[in-house]
Amino acid sequence: MDAFAQQLVNGLTLGSLYALIAVGYTVVYGIVQLINFAHGEIFMIGAFGALSTWLIFFDGNLALWVLPLMILGAVIASVTTAVLMERIAYRPLRHAPRLAPLITAIGISIFLQEAVRLFYDEVPFFDFPDAKQRVPFPQIEVVTGPAFQLGNVTIQRSALFTIGCLVMCSAGLWYFVNRTRTGKGMQAVSQDPDTARLMGINVDRIIVVAFAVGATLAAVAGVAQGLQVTNINFRMGFLAGLKAFTAAVLGGIGNVWGAVVGGLTLGLVEAMAVQFIPGTFGGSPWKDVWAFALLIIVLVFRPQGILGAKVVDRA
Amino acid sequence: MSRRTLPDSVRTTHGSKAPWLALAGGILFLVSGMLSWSYDDRILGDLSIRFYPAGIQLYAMLFGVIGVILAVLLLRRPAWLSPARGLRILGTTGIVFVVWVIASIAYQSGGLINANEGGWVALVGAVLLTAGGHLSPEVDIDVRRWPRLSSTLEIVIIVVLMAILLFTVAYTLDIEDGVIFAAFLIALIGLAGGLLGTGFGDYLGFIGANNRRPLLLAAFLVAFLFPFTQDGSDANMSIATQVLIFAATALGLNIVVGLAGLLDLGYIAFLGTGAYVAAMLSSSGFATVGWKPPFVVVMLIGAATAATFGLIIGSPTLRVSGDYLAIVTLGFGEIFRLAMFNLDGNNGPDLTNGPNGIPAIPDLELLGFDFGEVHTVAGIPLGRFSNYYFILLLLLMFVMLVFTRLNNSRIGRGWVAIREDERAAEAMGVNVFGLKLLAFSVGAFLAGLAGTIKAHQDTSVSPDQYVFLESAFLLAAVVLGGMGTVVGVLVGATILKLLPEKLREVNDYRLLVFGLLLVVMMRFRPEGLVPSKRRQLEFHGEDEELSELLQAEHLQTEHLKPEQLEPEPLQGAK
Repeated sequence: MDAFAQQLVNGLTLGSLYALIAVGYTVVYGIVQLINFAHGEIFMIGAFGALSTWLIFFDGNLALWVLPLMILGAVIASVTTAVLMERIAYRPLRHAPRLAPLITAIGISIFLQEAVRLFYDEVPFFDFPDAKQRVPFPQIEVVTGPAFQLGNVTIQRSALFTIGCLVMCSAGLWYFVNRTRTGKGMQAVSQDPDTARLMGINVDRIIVVAFAVGATLAAVAGVAQGLQVTNINFRMGFLAGLKAFTAAVLGGIGNVWGAVVGGLTLGLVEAMAVQFIPGTFGGSPWKDVWAFALLIIVLVFRPQGILGAKVVDRA
Repeated sequence: MSRRTLPDSVRTTHGSKAPWLALAGGILFLVSGMLSWSYDDRILGDLSIRFYPAGIQLYAMLFGVIGVILAVLLLRRPAWLSPARGLRILGTTGIVFVVWVIASIAYQSGGLINANEGGWVALVGAVLLTAGGHLSPEVDIDVRRWPRLSSTLEIVIIVVLMAILLFTVAYTLDIEDGVIFAAFLIALIGLAGGLLGTGFGDYLGFIGANNRRPLLLAAFLVAFLFPFTQDGSDANMSIATQVLIFAATALGLNIVVGLAGLLDLGYIAFLGTGAYVAAMLSSSGFATVGWKPPFVVVMLIGAATAATFGLIIGSPTLRVSGDYLAIVTLGFGEIFRLAMFNLDGNNGPDLTNGPNGIPAIPDLELLGFDFGEVHTVAGIPLGRFSNYYFILLLLLMFVMLVFTRLNNSRIGRGWVAIREDERAAEAMGVNVFGLKLLAFSVGAFLAGLAGTIKAHQDTSVSPDQYVFLESAFLLAAVVLGGMGTVVGVLVGATILKLLPEKLREVNDYRLLVFGLLLVVMMRFRPEGLVPSKRRQLEFHGEDEELSELLQAEHLQTEHLKPEQLEPEPLQGAK
């Protein structure tokens, strides 16, 4: 029972991280039917943005009040990258055959990884560490440090922070989508872009907003990941992005709440697979395999995902 | 498709000056070869001596020669040739060439100050050539109206061109210095483009289309002769074998992506399957399976295993939208890598030795021919890589055969129909699911086949050879060259494997440039370097000229073949 509770906590933490990133995939897909394959890199850029903010302004300062400013720095870095990416690479391809944007996305993804790997330590005026290896991430007080013990279950402070981030971001996202003008515009565009345009909605702007919303959440996830794993590297976006996409499909791509549900489900499945699959195919070496196997199983039996995609295939 | 960059009024007022501008540009290029390009005599094969052209200076002089020829042609205003187009290509690549050389001089010798007058003179020459090309009037030419040569003469032309190709390739690969290598490639593009852009290229294409078989034969003859130009050296042959494996695999992927339009992001896993099967069944001391069948059997087992994986992964996902397939194949690629990494006996059965992989795979031995030994043919020693080169060439021929035969069959037309519009295809009675599955498993089969040879050639397999990036590279070869074409993929594969090998100086930036290249290609030339016409139309739907051209060609090729004409008994008397 203790093992189950422990894995429940681990799974929820992991799942929260996936969910935060998955929202970015699903929001963009819901509006332009584009798999923004480079979204994992936005998450990585967010983590590096937070680290840079800390190195520039607060080097050595681990007080809690620094954290919101780090998150702000992360969000600025991620959103800037995502918006530029949309403007420069994706927008000219909006009416191209579907293969084109997907290949562009792979290109951007490799480009961003390499740019960080090669040039992070060469940024002028600042003394940034070499990003070719793992870079230690500042361990902010209060959200890191000694774990809580609940009976036999260990709960890391960073785990609580990650889950808290998901709760707060979900609330914010709910308010944004349902209560603001722009959010309602997003809903309209995802239902029918042409009609939305006729109703006076600036579709180009909505698309940029969708990229920005996804990037914001990914940036928060980047900070959470940094606190949890204690270091970051230029490759962290690839697997996380892939898993988050799996989560988005699992929940029903195009459906924002599906991303959250899918993320949490995927995290729980992974954690439980580590603990409860007997024999030599269990344990952490195989957890990624089980996650992708789950993706394939979902696509066979319920291609629209757990909550069902809100948008149909308009190809 | 003619891109007019200048308004016609400018052309008419200044058009008469164009030939003289071009002539001046050509002469400046010629002169620049005699001048010093660099103050530093230690770099780029010593460009510092005047009146003694070396390497890069000679290439510049070649630019000059062709520039002068084109300018003289321009003066005579032929109605059947378009020197303007050639000049534009020559001039633009000339600028790129000179800028590349000057930038390399500045970078390698520590400052622009070290670039001497030659480069700057050449730069002015290149600009003048470009200006001349843009100012001169466009001649609309139709090479089909050129005089027809006898078919023997046409074949002779093909053979001569192929021989030139062989020696150019051998010469190119001999260049050790990466910067000179790139400079030569740029020069080659410019010189060939300058000559062929005048209309000769279209004409040669026309000749080639009329003599498909001799062309293919000559091309393969050249490919077979290539190892004999290497004088027993294995350095270039090792690159060449890598290019061949890469090209064969990319061509297999092209069936899946280019013909059927299914995006497979985990294709490297099928190559890996073949390689691992071959390794496990080999007589390596680390092989994990006791059974040692002959290699032909191993090839079939490896390819069949890969095809089975293709079926397993394809059957659930091919029913859903294409985007899902891309990600599921990506996931499958990761599953494959992780499984190979894990199956070491501690986690699951011991099949792959985990992260260490299976080393010490012995060389192939087929029909008493040992691939590991040096064989001497006609006095020229052929090393280990040459042996593999020959068998890989056979493999490539086989893959090309499968590709073209499928492409020109009912199956291939079904694939194209699915790619263009799945629902319309289904409505017309095309078995969408079956054909998709077939494309997927044929692609996997071919990759598995290539993998079995790759295992022996590399002498080891390990999980880190089969990462996602390799799949992305394969996809890039297909996209870069041109989806759905054979030549395009060969070009793409050669570029992607050869350039990183030669440009060691910039090896660290390889991936960065690669990522950027994908983005730029998709933005400006999504149909690839050597596009199929149909594909080109898909990306440039608004181009009416192209669509008319395509329709005319289609009518010509499809309906004028005598064997395809319906017998018409009513007009039998004619």
